[in-house]
Amino acid sequence: EEGFALQSQSISPYTGDLFHETPLALRGLRIAHYFPFGVTGFFMFVDILTLVYLYKISVAFVKHLLDKQEREKKNYSPKAEALILTLDHLNWLPLTIAGVHALNPFSIMTTLAASTAALTNLTVLMAFYYMVLGNRLLCTLFLAVASYQTLYPLVFIVPMALHFYKLSSPSAPASYVSKESVSSYFETISLFAAFLGLLVGFSFLAEGSWDFLFSTYGFILSVPDLTPNIGVFWYFFTEMFEHFRTLFVCVFQLNAVVYTLPLAIKFSERPFFLLYVLIFLTSIFKSYPSYGDTALYISLLPLWGHIFSYMRNTLVVGGMYVCSMVLAPILYHLWIFAGSANANFYFAITLVYSTAQIFLLTDVLFAYLRREYDLYHGTEHFNPDGSKARIRLD
Amino acid sequence: MAAPMLRCLLFFLGMFFFGTNASDEFSEELFIKPLQKGYVYSHFQFTTKWNASIHHQETFQHYHLFPKALGEVLLHYDVQELHLSQTQGLWHHRQWGYPIHDAPPGAELWVWFKPSVKDIDKTWTDLANAVSGLFCSSLNFLDSKNTVTPRWSFRPQGLAHQGYAYRSYFMRYGTLPREIVCTENLTPWRKLLPCDSNAGLSTLFNAFHFHDANYHSLGLHVRPICADSACMEEAIELSQSLSVVTDVVSTSNTGAPHWSLKSLFGNHLVSACPIASKSVIMVQTANSQEPLPYRLTPEPTSVEEVIRGDQKHSFAVYQVPSFTHSGRVLNVAGTYNDVSGLQEDGTPPPIHAHRYITGYGLSDGGISCLIHSSLPVNQSIIYLDILPWFTRVYFSSLEVSNNGHKVPFKVHYVPAKDRSRPHHLELSFMLWPHSTTRVSFTFTRAFLKWTEYPPDANHGFYISSAVITALLPSSFGYTSPPQESSQLSSIFSENSTSYLIRIHTESLLVSLPTPDFSMPYNVICLACTVLAIAFGSMHNLTTRRFIKEEAKAKRGLLTKVKSFFTRQKDATLSEQADAAESADQNDIKEKSKEKLEASNDKPKEGDQS
Repeated sequence: EEGFALQSQSISPYTGDLFHETPLALRGLRIAHYFPFGVTGFFMFVDILTLVYLYKISVAFVKHLLDKQEREKKNYSPKAEALILTLDHLNWLPLTIAGVHALNPFSIMTTLAASTAALTNLTVLMAFYYMVLGNRLLCTLFLAVASYQTLYPLVFIVPMALHFYKLSSPSAPASYVSKESVSSYFETISLFAAFLGLLVGFSFLAEGSWDFLFSTYGFILSVPDLTPNIGVFWYFFTEMFEHFRTLFVCVFQLNAVVYTLPLAIKFSERPFFLLYVLIFLTSIFKSYPSYGDTALYISLLPLWGHIFSYMRNTLVVGGMYVCSMVLAPILYHLWIFAGSANANFYFAITLVYSTAQIFLLTDVLFAYLRREYDLYHGTEHFNPDGSKARIRLD
Repeated sequence: MAAPMLRCLLFFLGMFFFGTNASDEFSEELFIKPLQKGYVYSHFQFTTKWNASIHHQETFQHYHLFPKALGEVLLHYDVQELHLSQTQGLWHHRQWGYPIHDAPPGAELWVWFKPSVKDIDKTWTDLANAVSGLFCSSLNFLDSKNTVTPRWSFRPQGLAHQGYAYRSYFMRYGTLPREIVCTENLTPWRKLLPCDSNAGLSTLFNAFHFHDANYHSLGLHVRPICADSACMEEAIELSQSLSVVTDVVSTSNTGAPHWSLKSLFGNHLVSACPIASKSVIMVQTANSQEPLPYRLTPEPTSVEEVIRGDQKHSFAVYQVPSFTHSGRVLNVAGTYNDVSGLQEDGTPPPIHAHRYITGYGLSDGGISCLIHSSLPVNQSIIYLDILPWFTRVYFSSLEVSNNGHKVPFKVHYVPAKDRSRPHHLELSFMLWPHSTTRVSFTFTRAFLKWTEYPPDANHGFYISSAVITALLPSSFGYTSPPQESSQLSSIFSENSTSYLIRIHTESLLVSLPTPDFSMPYNVICLACTVLAIAFGSMHNLTTRRFIKEEAKAKRGLLTKVKSFFTRQKDATLSEQADAAESADQNDIKEKSKEKLEASNDKPKEGDQS
């Protein structure tokens, strides 16, 4: 709204520091005013679109899971029969996903708040969908739109590059650094860069100057605004010594993206899970996280419902989530409006929330890897003397 | 015949030239205006008129009455006009009318630079530092965070070339609402006067009485003006003013509103400044049609009546030298016959304003300004508001309304940049007759870094006053001298029909959410702990694989002891199972078997992670 008002006075919205949407979004979102129920109607429409795409993703993903399983069945251990996925297991998955998204408190809150995170989520989901379908062009297009909006989806190009390379040469389990692989990566990345460049170029033409770069990307990267949010870094940057600010900003941004490389190496055969883990990681460690990002990864979680039995900390994590969701608004209200609490209270709850997210992520990772191990080595493990053996990370 | 005439001519030329060079004129005036409810407004006006051009370099090489310290600053920083005011207290327009020079609470500095300045922002910062050194105030805090360039307000008050003021390029305006005025500021200001505190009206200065007053303002204004009414030559005018509003009723012993120079300033007036060409005391005796209910002693030298616009103002004028020569003292006093009329509020002036903060909590809020107009015609005004960057104004929420109807307005808005520029909002609209117009907008409060809070963080931050500029058709409550001279006596010969007023509203106090200042180390530790949890787990999961653990050959002592006892229990339980044969013994058997498996599994399950 602020951007629209400033535009109508022909003041560039980027001369101030209040407006951080991209230029094309500024122009594109005007249509929200013309929707049947106004802006609320527009965001309800976006939510319904998200629901539809989630449903389509789950249908396609089920097919993909079964195909992949067929291809790799020969490597599985014979004792792992209980773990084989069948169609009747996965039949209810699309409906579950739709239900989870519809009832997900985070996604309900995002729609109610008319947050533009809903739009970014939608574009990421569309990129995911086209990745499942194997359509490289549309996938990179939507990923470019998502990265154009917020910078962090940039790292999702890695699983996409891996996946499209796999698709182009399905049979050979080639190394990921051979010539064909590099050329395939290059194709994917250059498509993505072309779309992104196109979008940035259009923004420049629309705005007439490069000012918007600082207000949008520079803002995300250099974290100048310290409004309290659900992440853990606003307080960190508030209480930091000026001398070390550049160091910590660099470390913190690096932290958000550094997990890509080791995870890519570990999960090079499983690009979808890699994509999901990266979505999860960026939503925890991005500079201005919000409930909208949480809504995205929680809605996508049932896609891997088959690993839930291997998760260890569900009670603790669930409890932490519920607890922090209930307490966070209360403590924020106490600090800001009632004046009877301190910033520390709210900060503590954001710490709990981030820890809950991290626990959930590591639990999901662990469960996935453990299930893989069981697939290849059978479900029962015994020592040579007949007693049950321990499986541990080493 | 030609030679003596030539000599005469040369002599006169020499006189003229010499005379012009050294012709400074200094005048001191004291203006007293009793207000309603027992307040008395006193205004000291010291005007130095220097018949030289501010644009010439050689002007500032010889000083007579004009203070050298100030002249050096003006020369060095290429200043064409300088206006500084330092004020303690708020001027209540509604009760007191209009002051001679309106000033906001705190310090305000606005400067028009000469066109020859190269880098205005740098010169502005240097000038602010120099002025703060000259007056012992902290004007050096005026930097880009609280300086703006107003587009329509604060036009040049002195002579200026056409086109000079078009875009306000050479002008800067800055204000510090938190600045306190004390004796430290009064002393250097007083030192600029030619007579200092040795003779003249400046002997009446008494810091105790000034700082007891409700409103107390020091003003310094330098501007180029016309040397005479033909305006063939330029002159520089330095106007120093000290305004005080004293609450006579509260500060007197008896509670009576009788005032005198002694009760106001603690001193009789014993002398006039000998260098001054004019030294007068003026008391405004009639504001509108009715005479005021007090009696002046001693009898004034003259009574002047002026019609300004549609209002008649009359003044009792005392020529100070005539009262203070040969050792006599002057104590102008006003004694009231009838105090009942004083308790009423009096008629408010044509335009007055009230600004306040709306909303609750520390996350957002709003500012509303109510502007009351009692004029019978539409009046166009200019409204200037400067907000610090940390109160983030939503331009889309700006509205100007009058009794529910939207008022069309023209706006000039420069949004703030975090930590480098404030919000600058300037509106121009019409006030409808006999009504109240409301200007309102909302803002959200930012969260600052912990080093940016002042020492008393919970006191809050000050938002400077809004400035309302208007050209009034009526002079009700108007006391300022006309444009051409700052001397108050020029009111007597005035014939203008529109009166420029500038109203400063209240300055506001806004609290921002504060972090806990004792926590930097703890915060860094905790945040990094959360990061480390993530990093550690991810590192583990990506660099290690699952392996089946080898059965341990060696076991610790405790495990050995434990397994010894479980083995014993196994032995006894299996004996029981063998011995029993009945159904419940079967039950016991099954139960014991479960126990056996459970006890076997327990250490294993506990280890299996």
